[in-house]
Amino acid sequence: MKNIILKNIENPNSHRIEEYIKAGGYFALEHAVNEMTPRDIIDDIKKSGLRGRGGAGFSTGMKWQFASLDPKFPKYIVCNADEGEPGTFKDRVILEKNPHQLIEGMVITAYALQSVRGYIYLRAEYPHVEKILNDAIQEAYAKGFLGNDIMSRHFRFNLSVHRGAGAYICGEETALINSLEGRRGDPRVKPPFPVNSGAWSKPTIVNNVETYANIPYIVETSPKAYSFLGTRDAPGTKLFCVSGAVKNPGVFELQLGTPLREIIYDHCGGIRNGRALKGIIPGGLSTSILTPDMIDCPMDFANLARHGSMLGSGAVIVLDDTMCIVKIYERAMRFFEHESCGKCTPCREGTGWMRTILRRIEDGMADMEDLATLEDVAHNVAGKTFCPLGEGAAQVLLSAMKRYRGEFEYHVKYKKCEVTDPSLRWGHMSMDELD
Amino acid sequence: MIELTIDDIKVKVEKGQTILQAALANNIYIPHMCWDPRLKPYGGCRMCLVEIEGQPRPLASCSYPADNGMIVRTNTPRVAKLRKTMVELLLIHHPLDCPTCDKAGQCSLQDLSHQHGPSQNRIQEEKHSVARRTRNPFIERNQSRCILCGKCVAVCWEHQGVGAINFIGRGFDTKVSPAFEEVLDCEFCGQCVDICPVGALGNKPFKHSCSTWFLESSDNICPYCSVGCTVTLDTREGKIVSTRGIATKGVNKGDLCVKGRYGMDFIYAENRLKKPLVRKNGGLVETTWEDAMHVLAVRLNDVIRDKGPGRVGVIGSPKFSNESNYMLQEFARKVIGTNNIDSSACFGFSKVQKAVSQVFGLSSLPISLDSPIGKGAVLVIESDITSTHPVWGLKFLEARKKGSKIIVLGPRETKLSRHSDVWLRVRPGTSHALLNGIMHLAIEGAYHLKNHMSTAATNFSELEELVKGYPPGRAAEIAGVDTDEFIEMAKVYLTAESRMAALSLGSVENNKGLNTAISAANLVMLTGDGPSALQMPADYANTFGMWQMGISPENLPGYKKIEGSPGKNLFQMLYGKKPLDALLIMGDDPLSTYPDLKKVEEALRNLQLLIVQDIRLTDTARLAHIVLPEASWAEKEGTFTNAAGLHQTTEKISTPTGDSIAGWQIFRNLTRYMNSTPPFESLTALRDHLSDMPIDKGKEKWQYVPVHYEEVEPVDKQYPFIMVTGNLMQHSGALSVMSKNLSEAFPGAFIQINDTDAARLGITDGSTVRVESRRGAATVTVEVTDEVTQGMIFAPINFATARLNELTYAYEGGGAPLTAVSIQQVQSA
Repeated sequence: MKNIILKNIENPNSHRIEEYIKAGGYFALEHAVNEMTPRDIIDDIKKSGLRGRGGAGFSTGMKWQFASLDPKFPKYIVCNADEGEPGTFKDRVILEKNPHQLIEGMVITAYALQSVRGYIYLRAEYPHVEKILNDAIQEAYAKGFLGNDIMSRHFRFNLSVHRGAGAYICGEETALINSLEGRRGDPRVKPPFPVNSGAWSKPTIVNNVETYANIPYIVETSPKAYSFLGTRDAPGTKLFCVSGAVKNPGVFELQLGTPLREIIYDHCGGIRNGRALKGIIPGGLSTSILTPDMIDCPMDFANLARHGSMLGSGAVIVLDDTMCIVKIYERAMRFFEHESCGKCTPCREGTGWMRTILRRIEDGMADMEDLATLEDVAHNVAGKTFCPLGEGAAQVLLSAMKRYRGEFEYHVKYKKCEVTDPSLRWGHMSMDELD
Repeated sequence: MIELTIDDIKVKVEKGQTILQAALANNIYIPHMCWDPRLKPYGGCRMCLVEIEGQPRPLASCSYPADNGMIVRTNTPRVAKLRKTMVELLLIHHPLDCPTCDKAGQCSLQDLSHQHGPSQNRIQEEKHSVARRTRNPFIERNQSRCILCGKCVAVCWEHQGVGAINFIGRGFDTKVSPAFEEVLDCEFCGQCVDICPVGALGNKPFKHSCSTWFLESSDNICPYCSVGCTVTLDTREGKIVSTRGIATKGVNKGDLCVKGRYGMDFIYAENRLKKPLVRKNGGLVETTWEDAMHVLAVRLNDVIRDKGPGRVGVIGSPKFSNESNYMLQEFARKVIGTNNIDSSACFGFSKVQKAVSQVFGLSSLPISLDSPIGKGAVLVIESDITSTHPVWGLKFLEARKKGSKIIVLGPRETKLSRHSDVWLRVRPGTSHALLNGIMHLAIEGAYHLKNHMSTAATNFSELEELVKGYPPGRAAEIAGVDTDEFIEMAKVYLTAESRMAALSLGSVENNKGLNTAISAANLVMLTGDGPSALQMPADYANTFGMWQMGISPENLPGYKKIEGSPGKNLFQMLYGKKPLDALLIMGDDPLSTYPDLKKVEEALRNLQLLIVQDIRLTDTARLAHIVLPEASWAEKEGTFTNAAGLHQTTEKISTPTGDSIAGWQIFRNLTRYMNSTPPFESLTALRDHLSDMPIDKGKEKWQYVPVHYEEVEPVDKQYPFIMVTGNLMQHSGALSVMSKNLSEAFPGAFIQINDTDAARLGITDGSTVRVESRRGAATVTVEVTDEVTQGMIFAPINFATARLNELTYAYEGGGAPLTAVSIQQVQSA
């Protein structure tokens, strides 16, 4: 399998510009500025079928086109490196090992959109990455890939790193823009969308790290070559970061549409400790859980949607039969409650309420009425919140309650957990210790 | 126009409206808590969610734009269910202390709970308990009740341009607070209190004074500045206990400033006059109306008979109603027989009138409250409009939000300078030179040729000649600004699609003169924008109306010019070589506010007869021989004419204090005592007459009046500082200092000095300084700040106790009557 994003990854100095150039880096940029018009690039990206790798999976080419059609200038290019979705650690590999591919992707984007200013919004929890990125940016400046006269083509683009302050909500693009502007990281009303009115009310592209890292390959080869990878609906490769109860967790670059079974059993070596598979959270904590019978689901946008879930960030969390669903979702809800920005009522108050009931179920203090209330509250939070945070919190709970109904009812009926075996470390460990 | 269907009703709205706006405009109510017509949609409370056909999820109608052919349902079972849940969610942590909450009865959450909420909550959680913050004078913050709708935060920054509060913390722990949880210290406009849907923000002066359902509300016109806002007064048993602005009412559409919201208690001041006073054996003693009128008539007749009516003068009041002022001039002209009629506007608004009549030939030039909106560039000339006309000032902020460029000339940092696109910190009083400089650049760059009017107006060549003397270098040098910055500013102004220039010329402002106003008028002609682009508002609630009522030595009511020689103006009455023998002062306190205190005092003391008619015992009244108590605003009916020329009725809400009666009655009765027949027997007859009064609008002409910049009192070694006088946002003179609320919060007189100057002179913040001019000295507290520039002192002139007007002087010429002073510390803080 061809690695697009993780190419050269085994090289310990892959983050250095010399090594990157040696491996063919910045050729795409040269090709772009010398032989292509901005319009060509946008058309190519559209043709390639590339879809955003951050979670929503919106067509990257369409997004660029919207921004380029807006007559307002300047336009801003923002990289969302606020990788906060629990279970996700795929961007980290790019940022640490292959920062120049991100930078090259951003410079090409800037050329395509005639933007002069870019920002990498980096999550606060990656302090070491800031240095790597800044070093890489310095190198790129020194080589003339960034600055006021890029590749002597009178093309100007300046890039800097902006570190977040540790809020999950700032991974939402409008909240990210607010934070970037120095405001409180609350999501903004849409419409207007960032492509028309983003940072400082100017057209702004916010793309994920992995999305940008795909750009050089598409420009360098051809849209056709790119769409040859993956599926028709979702071309290209994807980074899957697998964690949880597998023998061999890690980040894998695989074609979109790779079946879940292949990821878990071939690449990750199967379930650890010889336990049975209980469920899979396929795209980060805010995507709905899949049951073991869905193991053959191909990992792409459409097939996961068919199974009531989402590709999300590609963070596969594997659960085995020692793990308690109620406990997991109680912990998840605590996360969502803690990360809620407080702007809208259902998310601010609803996540807290749901967490209270989940705690009660987990503690064996709940009755059947609580279960009904929990479902009712979740139904009234889902689809009513301002942004996807609260929406996700309620949706994942609802699907877990639907798919693992028995386990919830067992907790209520018998005031204890069905699966927790005190002899097993996972089940025994208090979730608080994991904080 | 777009057409959509809401609840099976077809409605048509302008494009760009949200669904909520479309619904409300067509009388379809959608419950909402975080939306306000003045603010950008926030979308937080989620009460306004509606179902839209073809959309899988309900959408927030407050922020979702209405679209053609959209089918909206606001009242489906699903929507009802989610509203119920939203209320239930909000009530989880809301303290439910309604019995002790001042908002109970006017609370949105309470109302929505009744309409949509569940009868009981399915969850018991601990209620919010955040410490109450009460250390500021006006606004009680009770965060436990907050539902985080964000309206207070938005109104404070977006609408009011202040940004004193914002959210602190995240998620459930979010609260609204000043930065670093400091004590709230802002301009105290109280807009956040009015906009709060629950009891999280409350009026401290009102606190626990009454349950809202016992309140009676009535509307009135604010008696402070000339914007003429509608205030809704809540009364309990006839006493005003709180003031609110209501979004649908008046020119202000719900906006109020600190004076309008907290200053109405002035009518309950302790020094209100209750009975007529007559001087007997050196002291003022209370007496009956009959006695006072009798004494007055006899003594006034004596003066008229012995010295002639030309030795008697009257002073009108910009704070009193049209009726009072009209009857005053009737009394002066018909009963006394004199045209010696003037008012404090002589130091301020009369200069505007003069400029308007000289340049445009008009008898008056009312402003338009919406004028800044939609203008390409707005030039603010040494005026602190958000302080002098706070609610009009908001329009400038709104204009900027909508894309206007705001250009501010002025040495002192003001709210408008903070929100400006270009701010030139000119030396005090020099904006006139810059205006001439802009005209120089306009002619040089041929900007004036873009319109046909500029060169056709009379005196164009004279103006051209004059402004030749103001090349950018010289104009910038006079004003003490960088030449390039000045040229840049002028370009922004001249190249704009549409323009407007604004300046206030209040009676206590000394940094502009007649020539500044004339020069601004020349400029708007040269750019072809004409009189409507020049906005020079009257200062007090009825300055405009008073002028129209003929309180002027030159004009009769309706701006009709006097035939023959005009009467004496204030300069001749009080500062001239041959002062008067008798003076009747209505509703003004020359000793506190008129310049050159010593001269004023001397003139008043030399009077054979001084009659003061006022609502309180002023310093001037203490010198009087006869003092007549007039019923105050809200104790009588009347009309005010605002700066836009709009006549608005003020209602009687409170019972008059003591024996005080309305001004028009005083003059009617007095006329009888003087053995004449009063022109009107009733208020209705008087009002009928006033409404039919012909207004002489003047004949519009365009005539340049070339005027050179002049410095009236230059600084020298002995007096090295320029003292600029003006008003504060919280105080505007006689009325505001009577208000207990305002005076407690903003108590004493102070002056401001630049921090560099202060360091050089060894003056520390809060210490007491002696300020001295060629005419006198005053001792006052000092505030060290970078709000003012070096070499400048700013002195709010409203506080009579400081006697700062001993330093200033009355100046009849065209320049800005700035005062040169020296300053020295006498006592450290």
